[in-house]
Amino acid sequence: MNMKQNFWKNSILLIFLTVPLLLAAQGTVTGKVTEGSAGLPLPGVNVIVKGTTTGAITDIDGDFEILVPSFPSTLVFSSLGYATTEVKLTGPTVLSVTMEESATGLEEVVVTGLASSVKRQNLANAVSTVSAAELVGTTSQSTVDGALYGKIPGVNITATSGAPGGGFALRLRGISSINGNNQPLIIVDGVYYNNVEIPSGLRFASGANRGNEENSSNRLADLDPNDIQNIEVLKGSSAAAIYGQRGNAGVVLITTKRGKSGKTRISFSQDIGTNTIAKRLGVRPWTAASVESAFGAAERAKYEATMAENGGLYDFEDIIYGNTGFITETRLSATGGNDKTKFYVGGSYRDEEGIIKNTGFDRFSLRSNIDHRISNVFDFSSSTSYTRSNSSRSFTGNENEGGLSYGYTLAYTRPWTNLFPDENGNYPDNPNAAGNSIFVRDNALNDDTNDRLVQGMTLNTNLLRTDTDRVKIVTSGGLDYLANQTYVYVPETHQSQVRPGPGGFIAVGKNNFTQLNTQIIGVWNREAMNGSLDLTTQLGVAYLYQKSNLVNSRGSLLAAGQTSVDQSVNQVIDQFRSEEKDFGYFGQIEGNYKDQIIATLGYRMDKSSRNGDPNKFHGFPKASLAINMANFDFWTLESISQLKLRAAYGETGSPASFGSTFTSLGASNIGGNIGQSVVGSKGDALVKPETASELEFGFDLGIFNNQLSFEATYYDKKVRDLILTRALPSSSGFTQETTNLGDLKNTGVELALRAFVFDNENFKWNTSVQWYKNRSEVTRLAVPAFAQPGAGFGLGLGTFYIQEGQSATQLVGNLNLDGTGIKPTKVGDVEPDFQMGWSNNFTIYKQFDVSFLFNWKQGGENLNLTTFLSDLGLVTPDLETEEGKARLLMPANAVRFVEPAGYFRLREASIHYSLSKNTVNSVFGNTVEGVKLGVSGKNLFTISDYSGYDPEVSVNGGTGLSTGIEVGSYPSSRQFFFSLNVNF
Amino acid sequence: MKNNIKTLAIVTFIIPLFSLMVSCTFDEVVDPNGPSVDGVLKNASKGQLNELVVAIESTSRNGIGNEATSNGVLGRELYLFNAEPRNTGDLLGKDGLQLDNNSFYSVGSWNGNYRCIKNINLLLEAVANTDAVNESEKNGYIGYAKTMMASELIQILKSYGKARLDVADPENMGPIVEFNEGLAKARALLEEGQQSLSSAGSSFAFTLSNGFNGFQEPSTFSEFNRAWAGVAAVYAGDGNAALTALSNSYLDLAGDLDIGPKHIFGLGGGDQSNTVFKVPGLNGDQIIVHNSWIADAEAGDLRVEQKSALRTNPASQDGLNGTHETRLYDSDTSPIDFLRNEELILVYAEASILASNFQDAEDALNVIRNSANLPDYSGAQTAEALTAEMLKQRRYSLWSENHRMFDLRRYGLSNTLSIDRPGDQVFNTMPIPLPETY
Repeated sequence: MNMKQNFWKNSILLIFLTVPLLLAAQGTVTGKVTEGSAGLPLPGVNVIVKGTTTGAITDIDGDFEILVPSFPSTLVFSSLGYATTEVKLTGPTVLSVTMEESATGLEEVVVTGLASSVKRQNLANAVSTVSAAELVGTTSQSTVDGALYGKIPGVNITATSGAPGGGFALRLRGISSINGNNQPLIIVDGVYYNNVEIPSGLRFASGANRGNEENSSNRLADLDPNDIQNIEVLKGSSAAAIYGQRGNAGVVLITTKRGKSGKTRISFSQDIGTNTIAKRLGVRPWTAASVESAFGAAERAKYEATMAENGGLYDFEDIIYGNTGFITETRLSATGGNDKTKFYVGGSYRDEEGIIKNTGFDRFSLRSNIDHRISNVFDFSSSTSYTRSNSSRSFTGNENEGGLSYGYTLAYTRPWTNLFPDENGNYPDNPNAAGNSIFVRDNALNDDTNDRLVQGMTLNTNLLRTDTDRVKIVTSGGLDYLANQTYVYVPETHQSQVRPGPGGFIAVGKNNFTQLNTQIIGVWNREAMNGSLDLTTQLGVAYLYQKSNLVNSRGSLLAAGQTSVDQSVNQVIDQFRSEEKDFGYFGQIEGNYKDQIIATLGYRMDKSSRNGDPNKFHGFPKASLAINMANFDFWTLESISQLKLRAAYGETGSPASFGSTFTSLGASNIGGNIGQSVVGSKGDALVKPETASELEFGFDLGIFNNQLSFEATYYDKKVRDLILTRALPSSSGFTQETTNLGDLKNTGVELALRAFVFDNENFKWNTSVQWYKNRSEVTRLAVPAFAQPGAGFGLGLGTFYIQEGQSATQLVGNLNLDGTGIKPTKVGDVEPDFQMGWSNNFTIYKQFDVSFLFNWKQGGENLNLTTFLSDLGLVTPDLETEEGKARLLMPANAVRFVEPAGYFRLREASIHYSLSKNTVNSVFGNTVEGVKLGVSGKNLFTISDYSGYDPEVSVNGGTGLSTGIEVGSYPSSRQFFFSLNVNF
Repeated sequence: MKNNIKTLAIVTFIIPLFSLMVSCTFDEVVDPNGPSVDGVLKNASKGQLNELVVAIESTSRNGIGNEATSNGVLGRELYLFNAEPRNTGDLLGKDGLQLDNNSFYSVGSWNGNYRCIKNINLLLEAVANTDAVNESEKNGYIGYAKTMMASELIQILKSYGKARLDVADPENMGPIVEFNEGLAKARALLEEGQQSLSSAGSSFAFTLSNGFNGFQEPSTFSEFNRAWAGVAAVYAGDGNAALTALSNSYLDLAGDLDIGPKHIFGLGGGDQSNTVFKVPGLNGDQIIVHNSWIADAEAGDLRVEQKSALRTNPASQDGLNGTHETRLYDSDTSPIDFLRNEELILVYAEASILASNFQDAEDALNVIRNSANLPDYSGAQTAEALTAEMLKQRRYSLWSENHRMFDLRRYGLSNTLSIDRPGDQVFNTMPIPLPETY
């Protein structure tokens, strides 16, 4: 293979070849670069003669050849993801260079435009990156959002349900919308990834108020966390501005694993684990006397009968939530390629049983990522994934009279009631609630199935390459197609369904979502001022198309034992369709002067069919500046290797949700006649997008060659024209209206400290601490303060209350605390005072890896309405205590149920052991390169004053302004894993 | 080289860019999921008008269930033992709790009734702005609309004691008025409706559901209008006006007590079920009869066994107990009466008391008593005694049909209700929903 050809083929960055003068000292240096850990050849490494622009790139075998103009000289080796290495030379020689994986991450590149990136050390924003090792390296993870817990400053994650298969609310730098979307935009390999929560229609059997009380998971669950190479989180508008009107809640950029050229490597992993309930609340320690005082003499007799028969009470918490779920995950991947084509092919299957029998989640996922260089002009990369995931989530959360939700039913179930079936399989009725939870567990279904194809494609066209200029066109696009099916089945023998009641219930949902996005970007790199100033200019257009069609068919009065929706008497079908389009232009220019001063200016214009005027463009500017003090010539402090001052400003938007512009009629039928009635929500034909502007500034400090680094960021994010759904005086015929009504702001601080405490051959310890806080305030409200519809249960029990000058996440109830009359009174705020993450990683004798991650959430309150229910049922565990008795005497209002929701938790911990190379070779021969064994755990312990199962909870799902209210949630679980990883 | 670049640029940039830009003027977005409100307000077809007519009948069922159960709890007719704790907490004023103006029980009926009134206002506006129907057909629509609006207003006044009257323009609504002004408006609407019905020809241009069988023509529908006029007059204390109105209604002292238009129910798409029905014997979601209703009944009153049944296990929840559960309806598609002859007879008795026709009142009350297998009234023939008897007969004839709380309120007797738990309170008016007070 010809060197020169290789050089061109491998060239990624612009390299200058200056024809050197024929000096006597000139000479050729050749060598080989290998990767530290495995000793494999490392292709694509930049080799530059320090102080010149003379350079070369290693070929597929890691070999290079470079003409050094004069000696003595220094060669600088750099490659993405590896620590830059310098080698001093006194004359022509043959080198053998080993590059270690970069620990500091300063060399990694971070995407800052839609088709450009900068090195982390030059970044003007606090963009957080989570690597594969951080994401899934410690323990086995079910979903991406669950795996991010506690790993990124400024990110607040709440599990909305403990059911396997997720259900998470992700909030970047506080809430950015009261009513609209607060989930960040998720982009996987350039594809806009649908993270929808799909209701199943079970509310029509359970009596839950809305689809968001059905505890569906969000569909990020379809992405296998193990496929991910890294995640970049653009937390605020200043970093996300280039995403324009979809960037308000931040952007999560996910890059999946890609092929590396060289030897084909095969990796096999197997995890085996268990799921058990993380915390038990226990059973109220009943006595015959307390039973009689609570329920009367008749109940005492029943209690005594059960005690006599069984010698104890039924522990329904254990019966329902006490299952030990079995978890397995198998993964197989192969990566390899040559200088033209690289591939990553992987497959995985995860099967997770829940702590409630018959609940679970499984996911089969296939991925193939291919990068191919067609010629010096064209190259493309393709990312394809197919996922099939199934979950059985059963019934939890809020309901009314359905007798289905375990948390709800158990709050009224008395532990001397036998709910087990008799020898003929007949389940007794629950005398104190609308359902028998054991019957529901054994016979009712709430399942979903998702088939998902995600395809991303990028074509790079290198139009021009000169010494100083490079022009390329990046044409990229993606498709995300999700076919979701939901299935809810409640037998006609269920207590609340028996005839002449509804007679059984089936809901079959067939839901399709198609998303297409495409963008075309021209990128021009220019090296000005003799290479001192690097300018990157990009211009482009972007288009996004989303379409959904949700059909839910329901049947009641079922034929005995039948499970098809047509085997029913009363049938109802709902359909909801939406179609939306976005179009935008953008441009950005970045200048980098000697890595000393880095500045960016950009502007995006977007329009959306979801806005009142679908053809009006909205502008989103951005600007940023980073100054690397330590890179200036005057900097002489050797111990401080980096001091960067940075500031960034940007604007983003969020269009009105689909349908906000319509005031429509809906079917309202009687006696077989079709009627058209107002549906209650009044649209605003002139609705504008919500827009946010954010100013962020901070500094990064690196000490002792970045062995110790510190990052501090302050941000001030203002959201204008909040689209609020506010309750209307319903005498107008409309109960609510959705329109631009207010402003809010979030301010916060994010601190991150990272240290390589020890870095010896036999003992390595790195640690990182993150601390962050956010404060929100509703700064303008064009209407009087109001209780947020669709979240909480009214001011009587406490709810979110939108009020000018107050936190957007305050919890308020109608109270008369000061004796001046009943009025909306703040009782808490779900926003924590601060949060902290502390992760540690030890490597001992190169073979042992010990990692653990702590989370600390200080402050923040929840409304625990599960206690409200169990107090009514008189089964709350603490009701024999003075405290419990006192609570029982309090009126049922918000102040009674508000609880501190702070906690300290060992989120993840693991010990992994890598077999030594000798052991591996002696046992498996040369075919196996490495074997790693480990044990790990998730949610190992939690210290919290919260009396419920988990302070991380949400009865209203993950969207909107909803977390922190609990009603009969699915309890959180603790997981243990044994893992085996073999590399071939 | 230059040409190549040009070709490349065209292929990979210019062509896709151009096609994107061309396709990117967005059309006006229409709701794929339903017709727009504005669309029916101008030049509506007869079909569109009739869809509004159906919607009015359909949405007149809104809130009935909540009115029967929540107002029934306030009036100590029943308890609703289900998963919703506020049914045994707030509604009974437990431990000092006040009624919340932002909870299901206070907003449910109001929202439902005004949704129907909005549909009525849409129909009135649509009829005024279309040439699709002739003058007498228009009168039919208007007569129907105004009668139904009065019926909704009366429901609102019974629950809330107040109402907002000018609601046609959401941006410019009138004030919330007191009971008497609201009732006067309802009575005026009934008179206007009657006027329109009288010049509506011999048939409507629309068809109502089977619930209106026998009241499907302008002449028979106007008997329904007059029945409401009688009810409204009695509520206004105007006995003579009530007697006049009732004489043109379907009141029949000798007739079937069940005669009268009904809300019918169905389980198909877009339809509603009868939510006051509860599965017999069911636990966890049950209407429990207030023990006083059983205890206070005269021996042998047939209505007790017709409307309730002894439970095998007495129900208890939240410190409340009951031995009987509801049997008012047979299924979740059983019809609920708007105004049946039985109520009209009681209204006639009340009007007669107000007009001092005591013998007429006593005769009417005896019709009701006899129908319940009770002997003739034997008390004093005074206004007080007859009123007490009339209220008692209403208590048993109209149990769980949203009358008791209002009857006690209008006669100033709410404080006579029993307190079941120490610390409970009696409320007799639902609070106006919070958004109305902005």
